[in-house]
Amino acid sequence: MIPEPGALLLLVAFGGVVAVDGTSLGQFMLSRPVVAATLAGWIAGSPEQGALVGLFLEAFHLTVLPVGAARYPEGGPAAVAAAGAYAGTSHSYSALLVVLVFALLWERVGGVSVQWLRQTNVRLSPPPGRTSIRSGRLERRHLYAVGVDFARGMALAGAGTLLFGWVLQEGFFLLPHGGVARLALGGVLAASLGAAFRLFGRARLQLLAAGAAVGVLALVLFR
Amino acid sequence: MSVLTRGVRRALLLRSFAVQGSWNYQTLIGTGFAFVLLPVLRRVYREDEEALREAVARHAELFNSHPYLVTVAAGAVARLEEDGAPPETLRRFKSALRGSLGTIGDRLVWQAWRPACAILAIVLLLLGLPWWAAVSAFLLAYNALHLWLRAWGLRVGLRDGLAVGKALREAPFQRLGDRASDAGAFLAGLAGILALGSAARAPAEYALGVAALAAGLWLGLRVRWAVWAVLVAVWAVDTIVVATS
Repeated sequence: MIPEPGALLLLVAFGGVVAVDGTSLGQFMLSRPVVAATLAGWIAGSPEQGALVGLFLEAFHLTVLPVGAARYPEGGPAAVAAAGAYAGTSHSYSALLVVLVFALLWERVGGVSVQWLRQTNVRLSPPPGRTSIRSGRLERRHLYAVGVDFARGMALAGAGTLLFGWVLQEGFFLLPHGGVARLALGGVLAASLGAAFRLFGRARLQLLAAGAAVGVLALVLFR
Repeated sequence: MSVLTRGVRRALLLRSFAVQGSWNYQTLIGTGFAFVLLPVLRRVYREDEEALREAVARHAELFNSHPYLVTVAAGAVARLEEDGAPPETLRRFKSALRGSLGTIGDRLVWQAWRPACAILAIVLLLLGLPWWAAVSAFLLAYNALHLWLRAWGLRVGLRDGLAVGKALREAPFQRLGDRASDAGAFLAGLAGILALGSAARAPAEYALGVAALAAGLWLGLRVRWAVWAVLVAVWAVDTIVVATS
C-alpha cells in the first residue's frame, strides 16, 4: 500500500541515503537489501515485514558482484520501495510474491540509472590530459556528483514506493492459493542460497553439506 | 615539520569514504582520489598555487582501487608528495598499485566477506531472531573488517610509501578470505535447509525444495533470471486460473 505522506517522505529521504551508501559515500552496507528493506519497513510501521522482504531480496542479490565497470542491479532503493509498500498490506504470500517481482525489475531500473549517473559524472570530471585544475572546483564538482546520486536514490525510492503501493492497492495479484505462492517463495529462496554457495568455490562442498546437516538437525529438533 | 599532521591524516581517512563519489567511465575513481588527497596537496603546495593545480591534475587522472583499500594508495602517495617524489615516479607507482588493490579487495570483501555476513543475517532471520538483532549482526560483522581495512591501509601507506607492496604481500588477506568463504559455504547450506523448512509442509514440498536448492547450485550466478521467471510464471498462471474459473 502507499504509505502515509509523512512515512513516504522519510522513505524517499532514506532512498537517497541508501543510494549514496551503495557507491558514492561510505559503503557501510546500509544499502544491502536486508538492511535497507528492514529499516524501510520500520519507517513504514512494520519492521518485521520489511525484514521478510529484505531476506528474500538479499538472497536474490547475493550473486551480484560489483566488479569493475560492469552494470549490475541496484538493490538499495528497490528494497526501500518494496518494503515501504509491503509494510502496509495484509502481509499475504501473494502480495509478497508480487512485490518481489516488481522489486527485481526495479533493481534493473536502478542499475540503468547508475550507468546514467556514471556517464553524467564524465562531464563533471576534468577531461584527461588537463595539466592544471583548481582544487576548489574539483572539490565542488565531486560533492555535486554525490548530491546527484542522492537525488537519484530519492527519485527511485519515491517512484518505486508509489508504483508498488499502487499495484498492491489495486489488487493486481489475484493469487488465491497462498500455498502456491508460499512454495514458490520457499523454492526461489532455497535456489538463491544454493547459487550463492558458488561464490565460495566448489572445493567447499563438504562445508555446504555440513551446514545443511546442521540445518536438518535444527528442523528435526525444533520444529 | 611534517605536513602529515594528525588532522591531515584524519581528513584523508574521512575523505576516503567519499572516494567513489564521482565514479565515472573516463577516470574511474581518479577525481575521487584527487579529492581524498586535497588536504595533503594543499599543505605541500601551500605557497605555489600553480604547482597545486598541476598536482591536482596529476592525481585526477585514471585510477582505480577497491574503495576500502584506496587508503593504502592515498597514504603512500601522501608520503611521497611530502618527500617531494617526482611526478613520473608517482604516476608509475599508482599505475602499479591499482590492479592489486582492486583484486585483493574484490576477492576478500565482495566475493567472501560480504556474502558470508549477509548469509549470516539471513540465517538469523530464518531462525526467528528479532529483525534488529539480524541487521545489527550484519552491520557490526561487516563493518568491523571494512573500517579496519581503511585504517590499516592508511597506516601502512603512510609508513611504507613506495615499499607498500611488501605489507600487502604479508597481510593475511588470503587466509581471511579463505576463512570467510568457509563460513559462507557452511552458512549457505544451513540457510538453504532453513529456507526449505520455513516453506515446506509435506514430504513432496520438501522434495521440491531440495530440487530448487540443487537447481540453484547448478545455476550459480545465473540464478537471478530463473528466480524472476519462476515468480512471474506462478503469478501469471495463478492469475489466469482465477480469472477463468
